Amino acid sequence: MRNNKLKTAAAIFLLGLLAVPLYFTSTFVLHMFTLVFFYIALTAAWNIPAFGGKFSLGHAAFFGLGGYTAAILYVKLGISPFIGVVAGTFVAMLGGVILSFPLVRLKGPFFTLASIAFAEVLRMVAVDWRSLTNGSVGINIPFKPSWLNLTFTSGAPFYYMALGLALLVIGLAWWIRSSSLGYHLRAAAADEDAARALGINTAKAHFMGLMWSSGLTGMIAVFYVFYNYVLEPGTAFSMDLFSLQPAMNGIIGGMGTVWGPVIGAIIMTPLGEFLRFYLGTIQQGLNFVVYGLMLIAVVNFVPGGIVSLIEPWFKKKKSGDSSAADN
Amino acid sequence: MDDLLVVKDLTKNFGGLAAVSEVSFEVRRGEILGLIGPNGAGKTTLFNLISGLLASDRGSIKLEGEDLTKKPPYKRSAMGVGRTFQVVRPFDMTVLENVMVPTFAHYKTSKEAKEKAFEILKMVRMDKLADKMPANLTLAQRKRIEVARALATKPKLLLLDEVLAGLNPTEVAENLPLIRQVRDSGVTILFIEHLMDAMMAISERVLVMDQGVLIACGTPDEVTSDRCVITAYLGEEAPGC
Ligand SMILES: Nc1ncnc2c1ncn2[C@@H]1O[C@H](COP(=O)(O)OP(=O)(O)O)[C@@H](O)[C@H]1O
Ligand SMILES: [Mg+2]
Repeated sequence: MRNNKLKTAAAIFLLGLLAVPLYFTSTFVLHMFTLVFFYIALTAAWNIPAFGGKFSLGHAAFFGLGGYTAAILYVKLGISPFIGVVAGTFVAMLGGVILSFPLVRLKGPFFTLASIAFAEVLRMVAVDWRSLTNGSVGINIPFKPSWLNLTFTSGAPFYYMALGLALLVIGLAWWIRSSSLGYHLRAAAADEDAARALGINTAKAHFMGLMWSSGLTGMIAVFYVFYNYVLEPGTAFSMDLFSLQPAMNGIIGGMGTVWGPVIGAIIMTPLGEFLRFYLGTIQQGLNFVVYGLMLIAVVNFVPGGIVSLIEPWFKKKKSGDSSAADN
Repeated sequence: MDDLLVVKDLTKNFGGLAAVSEVSFEVRRGEILGLIGPNGAGKTTLFNLISGLLASDRGSIKLEGEDLTKKPPYKRSAMGVGRTFQVVRPFDMTVLENVMVPTFAHYKTSKEAKEKAFEILKMVRMDKLADKMPANLTLAQRKRIEVARALATKPKLLLLDEVLAGLNPTEVAENLPLIRQVRDSGVTILFIEHLMDAMMAISERVLVMDQGVLIACGTPDEVTSDRCVITAYLGEEAPGC
């Protein structure tokens, strides 16, 4: 019964979201919503390796690989971004294959450090490989409005695409978490050796998790880049925007859960924008100070993230229904 | 008789310490084989070698004639080696989910895995606690999760590491028949136990280890009257042991 009520509420909420572009013509509001959706998708993708306890601070690598692939194909060769999405996803996954070497060999902070280095190296390559990337000048997506070019005169199409991406990645994350891969990753996160003794190829599970995560991040990046018209190494491979931000969203919302990234992205995206624009002008890096303080607060007082505060209430609503295994 | 597991000259050193040294024995299909020895004798290390969590320095391990020595733990599990941990290591998820984790090796959908895991929980009489978190359970109950999880891998050989240790007499009396029940369902059992009475009650043969060396092997009666075994337990020196 209550489950049905919950479903109805979700359906109404979703319909409300679909109607937003019809009622809010302010580009600022639409932009903020779109950005939140992009970050929900990016955070949910970042979060998949975190099911297995792997904490990446290098997802900007996959973002940059995906974004650059599609942009280069489009601007240099005139290939439609819809093919670019496939290529970008694939190239980002190749990046995932490379990062999987430290992923399965290094534990805890050592993997995290390797992931940072990986993204930084790629950023430097993007700066130096001028013939391909235009170096630090970056690539501009020419304004030729058309569906095929993924370029539009209004913000609405991207609003809907970003919403679609967010729903898609949440759905996939939920599906992965409740499938064997999700169970294997969670077991590996809790106790790698016990998991191995129980027949789980934990290296393979971590690898598969990173494949999903890197591919999805690359795919999201293609849409994001066409939404922004421009990409250069400093933003496409930005530690701040695409490595730290998803990780922050994940921790604040609740790392390794399905809904944590959603909550985290909803709270942190507007806040992050605000901090970057207002504090960033006062003193460069001041936004990181605020992030640091928030991080300390969450890790100390709600280690499970905000989702752990909401979850008990949610579970009570669902009780009577014996689906203990899917959350 | 038909040997399920054959261990030959198995050796593991930790620095200068010979934790397991030249150990050879076989486990017969369908038996309950006990493994006893004082603390630090190398029993858990032997289990780590057989399950593959530790690599051996020398020697071989064969299951049904197939060499396991170089195989990673997950492959050994797939071939039929299951184990529990002396210090229980439940995953941070519900009891049912804990048992579902290994169940996926045999059932692909989470619905099937859930059903199968629930069946196993029934068998170890933990079904009523399926939705609980292991952290909120007693040690005896958490030891049952260990057993249930290992059973979910469908082992041919089950290595039980002190599943009765730390339990009160009532709990021991409850958990003991479980071991026999598991064997009767077709699983061969090698189990480490400190409680002599319990050990003697259910094992058909007993191995005795001391300081990394296998010092005796026989029926419970033979072993308990063995001079070297008595010496190992009493800590006295006896010539010829
Ligand atoms: N990973 C390890 N590294 C170093 N020494 C170890 C390790 N594991 C066990 N040992 C040592 O090996 C010996 C045997 O330990 P163990 O196999 O746990 O004994 P038992 O299970 O018979 O009590 C002990 O002296 C122990 O300290
Ligand atoms: Mg031990």
